[in-house]
Amino acid sequence: MDLLGFARGPALKVALAIFCLGVVWRIVGFALLRLRRDHNAPRRGVLAFLTGGLVTVGSRSWPHPEFIARTGAGEALGYSYHIGLFIVVLLFTPHIIFLGSLFGFTWPGLPSSLITVVSVLTLTLFLAVLFRRVTNPVMRMLSNFDDYFSWLITALVLLTGLAATAHIGGPYEKLLAVHILSVDALLIWFPFGKLMHAFYIFPSRAINGALLARKGAVS
Amino acid sequence: MSRLTDIPIRIEGPAIAGGPPGGPRSDPAPSPGLDFGVSSSGVSAILTELARLLDQLAEKDMPAAIDLRSLPLSSQDRIELERALGNGEVEASVNADGISTLRETRFCGVWWVAHRDAQGDLIAELLEVTRVPELLACSADEIAAAAHTLRERLSVAARPC
Amino acid sequence: MSQGKSELTVGEMLLQHGISRRRFIKFCTATASALALPPWMGPAMAEQLRNSPRPSVIYLSFQECTGCVESLTRSFAPTIENLIFNFISLDYDDTLMAAAGEAAETARAKAMKDHFGKYVLLVDGSVPTGAGGAYCTSGGRSAEDTLREAAKGAAAIVCVGTCSSFGGIPFADPNPTGAWPVSAIVGDKPIINVSGCPPMPEVITGTLLQFVTTGQVPDLDEHRRPKVFFGNTIHDRCYRRPFYDQGKFAKTFDDEGARNGWCLYELGCKGPTTYNSCATIKWNGGTSFPIESGHGCIGCSEPGFWDKGSFYSPLSSAAWGKAGEVAPRQVLELTAGAAAVGVALGVASAGVSRLRQRHREQRTDNETKGS
Repeated sequence: MDLLGFARGPALKVALAIFCLGVVWRIVGFALLRLRRDHNAPRRGVLAFLTGGLVTVGSRSWPHPEFIARTGAGEALGYSYHIGLFIVVLLFTPHIIFLGSLFGFTWPGLPSSLITVVSVLTLTLFLAVLFRRVTNPVMRMLSNFDDYFSWLITALVLLTGLAATAHIGGPYEKLLAVHILSVDALLIWFPFGKLMHAFYIFPSRAINGALLARKGAVS
Repeated sequence: MSRLTDIPIRIEGPAIAGGPPGGPRSDPAPSPGLDFGVSSSGVSAILTELARLLDQLAEKDMPAAIDLRSLPLSSQDRIELERALGNGEVEASVNADGISTLRETRFCGVWWVAHRDAQGDLIAELLEVTRVPELLACSADEIAAAAHTLRERLSVAARPC
Repeated sequence: MSQGKSELTVGEMLLQHGISRRRFIKFCTATASALALPPWMGPAMAEQLRNSPRPSVIYLSFQECTGCVESLTRSFAPTIENLIFNFISLDYDDTLMAAAGEAAETARAKAMKDHFGKYVLLVDGSVPTGAGGAYCTSGGRSAEDTLREAAKGAAAIVCVGTCSSFGGIPFADPNPTGAWPVSAIVGDKPIINVSGCPPMPEVITGTLLQFVTTGQVPDLDEHRRPKVFFGNTIHDRCYRRPFYDQGKFAKTFDDEGARNGWCLYELGCKGPTTYNSCATIKWNGGTSFPIESGHGCIGCSEPGFWDKGSFYSPLSSAAWGKAGEVAPRQVLELTAGAAAVGVALGVASAGVSRLRQRHREQRTDNETKGS
């Protein structure tokens, strides 16, 4: 079996299995945890408790005005590369075909040259983000292995994808195999690092919002 | 729509090399400053290469050739190239399984050679950089064979009937 | 087939056929151009060939469909007639030669003996080793034995077609006859693989001509294929590439996109991973090639192409199934199974966490009560 066959075949199968297993494990494990009993009386009703969560999901999408000066740039950077990643992953025709082969349905894509431009921009933003993490003293102090490794794995997927599309760095079938292998690696790492924020972000904001609403606090 | 040729195919991108060259074109008088007015980078590249090959021919007597079919030339490029190279003093046609035309360009040593098969289709087209294209010359063994044949004919003709 | 005539030089042979030196130079120039060889090779080929005796060539056919010989006889440059009569002495080919049976075998044995160490061995078809080689026999001898014997005196072996180069269709899963490519059987001779199912006629004849003219094995890639013909992928030279770059893909075989000649990537074209000259030299004297005729490349010059999944499954799709293809249902089963295990692990982890939480609360309660 050649490298490409391995990457698209057994490696992908194992990676997908580990991804599903890990994500479900963490979500179920997290969902079944008990909240510490709050002996205070609730300040607001049940309805506020429920809607409070939903409001928080929205309100935490952008920093409060007092903090924008300090964190606005970082937020904007984050949004930009996330949007870039979504465009590249979901609107590039070969990716649509790949996802279609898993799910059984496809959707229209964007011109491939446009995707290349977006990829390059996203990769540049990725480098900017790393630069910020390393030069900002607070971020540097807070950063751990998970932060850097998750960054590296995602950046590698972007980089190898660009190399494959541009046919730079070797024969095409090897470039494609390396790109698919990097995606397999990402899938395997995903449930065990901070990339899980993809699944946690909305439930965690909702729960925090609900708890704060119960206490009568604004979130 | 039932035939291959009915399917409209539109190719977007630089045009691929055009068809057969026309016959010898009338040579516009060469301008004194040898200003080609060449706008295509492809044609400039060919001319630059020809200059290098001519140097090589002059210094080391080493012939060379450029295969025009291997280059992506648009029809506009061909016209420019023909105009830039012009015509020299020699034009030859060789009848060997179809007509091959060998036209010296205005640059001595650069020959525009077009080979056609018996049906008249173009089968090869080159720019040869050489003193005389190989196709025109005679080889030693052919000359010897010809001398032998001629002597035989002469000796037969000389015999009394 | 000529026997005993291979001592004449090619030039002498040509003159006998009334082919002048000029006709020959023109022919070689046109051939070199058609095969995208360097332009100086034409006259050089002509000069070299004219002064050499015609090399003896022996063509052995094993587990094959004869498609390769069919392709060879359709070559436009040089034509097979030109090749057989002018450049090579084809001393044995069981499809093309007039002799048969013992007479043919005797001719082969004589050619091999007379030109030992110098003849070019062409092989098409794979070599079955199962059942003691009984799956392919000729004249009472197995293919494997015939190949080993013929290889001993060969100057080089040219494998014509994917079957002899990589095993081809007989080698495909489950390979019931124990088929192997030539390179798995013969290890000590230079081997040139001219792969393809069938290989392009001009590639076969061009490679032969190159070897015969220069006497040297040309530059080969990692699969031992001549780089001059197998150095680029179909995708690299495909005229539909602008559509690929623009993201314009045909979705079915008769839709608007297909009729406008859009890229066939979504219909399974293997052009990006296939190395061959179909997009430049094209088939039937430059008429067309599969993609131009509306069907994606099936990757027939690559090793194991029969086992790489459906011809209609795009290159970027998942491919771990038995036939290299994966149905969404299989994906569902895999993910559901993994998720089930995940649920079990999640419940267990949560259980452990809650137990620890309870112990901690009890300890705190006890400490509070105790103080």
